[in-house]
Amino acid sequence: MSGHFAAFSFVDRITAYAPGQHAHGVFDVPKTIAAFPSCFVAEAVGQLAAWVAMAHVGFRVRPVAALAVETRFLQDVIPGSALELAVALDSCDDAAVAYSGHACVNGSTVIELQDCLGPMLDIEQFDAPEVMRDRFELLCGAGATPGRFQGVATTQLVVTAEAPGQSLRATLRVPNEAPFFADHFPRRPVYPATLLLDRQIELALRLAGAASDWHAGESIALVRMTNVKMRAFIEPGDELELAADMAPPIGETATIALSARTGKRQVATAQVEIERRQDR
Amino acid sequence: MQPTITKEEIMQVYPKVAATMADALGCDVEDIVLDVSLIEGLDAESIDFLDMVFRLERAFKIKIPRGKIIDNARGDLTEAEFEQKGVLTPVGLAQLKAYLSEVPAERFREPMKVADIARLFTPETFCKLVIMAQRETKTA
Repeated sequence: MSGHFAAFSFVDRITAYAPGQHAHGVFDVPKTIAAFPSCFVAEAVGQLAAWVAMAHVGFRVRPVAALAVETRFLQDVIPGSALELAVALDSCDDAAVAYSGHACVNGSTVIELQDCLGPMLDIEQFDAPEVMRDRFELLCGAGATPGRFQGVATTQLVVTAEAPGQSLRATLRVPNEAPFFADHFPRRPVYPATLLLDRQIELALRLAGAASDWHAGESIALVRMTNVKMRAFIEPGDELELAADMAPPIGETATIALSARTGKRQVATAQVEIERRQDR
Repeated sequence: MQPTITKEEIMQVYPKVAATMADALGCDVEDIVLDVSLIEGLDAESIDFLDMVFRLERAFKIKIPRGKIIDNARGDLTEAEFEQKGVLTPVGLAQLKAYLSEVPAERFREPMKVADIARLFTPETFCKLVIMAQRETKTA
């Protein structure tokens, strides 16, 4: 089976749509997968925005992940959940799309994205425009067959240096081949930014978890990610050097600066906030 | 004819522009001096320019269409008067120098490619961009 529109696609149906303005959509998280990380929920919101943006510009260009000023993580999503997605476009033209959005499960918001911006690039680099147009019509009509997504094998981090509660360094080797490359994107495989962010979040949680004098055995949870900036595409086979640096926690919250480099080139930066919680 | 922007107007918006640019570039606000080259001095890339414009729009509640700096620099020249095949005409270069009056003359190349104009940008360029957008918002 081709992985296109399956291996890394998180919109099953667009249920309401105002061209160039806003949309609602749904995605059924398959029960059969092991987990559905919060970054995939953010990806689902971003993909809905991408569909609205591409349709608005006649599928000449498509947005790619670049900037997200703020993402708030409110609840985890478990396999078997029905995601309700919503996006509102602030602006959209051939140069960039700016949007905000959120996702709910059973009416409760699980994630909120504020002030995201994706530069628009020639769609021909990534996919066949007519295929994307047909897919959009399907999503706006009967919808795609649910259950296509089979999960993503975790790319393991290798920790290379550690100062507990202060900093962590790790390498991440992007696989040369993976099912998601058939979907992201068929004509130009790119390691999804949200997969990188998922790995960086794991690194941040490991770093905060090691700050035992701060959380004193209480559970910790990711609550907010800010200033995500993707500077370059990550290619299959790239080796990334990840860095996580934790500022001294203030009260319940620890802030961690994240970055990823390939060689000398910085490819991504972000900040996360992690809270210690007695009730989790 | 380029519209006049006074130093006082620039200094009025500069603190907020500098803070916004520092957030976008992930540097200290002290690094955002008025005449530093954003590309050569602060390692800004194209995504940073997009980020800065995006943040300035929100910070000042203005709209800045993409490519607005070059549009502003072009002023009332037609595209053909301003550039030919991606290279500025002599009239276009003179117009650009007038608009980017804060940039030392030796930093302008001759011939000058349109693609290289961004190498000239400084925080002051963005202050002017904000002021022009504010004026357009007021007259809209």
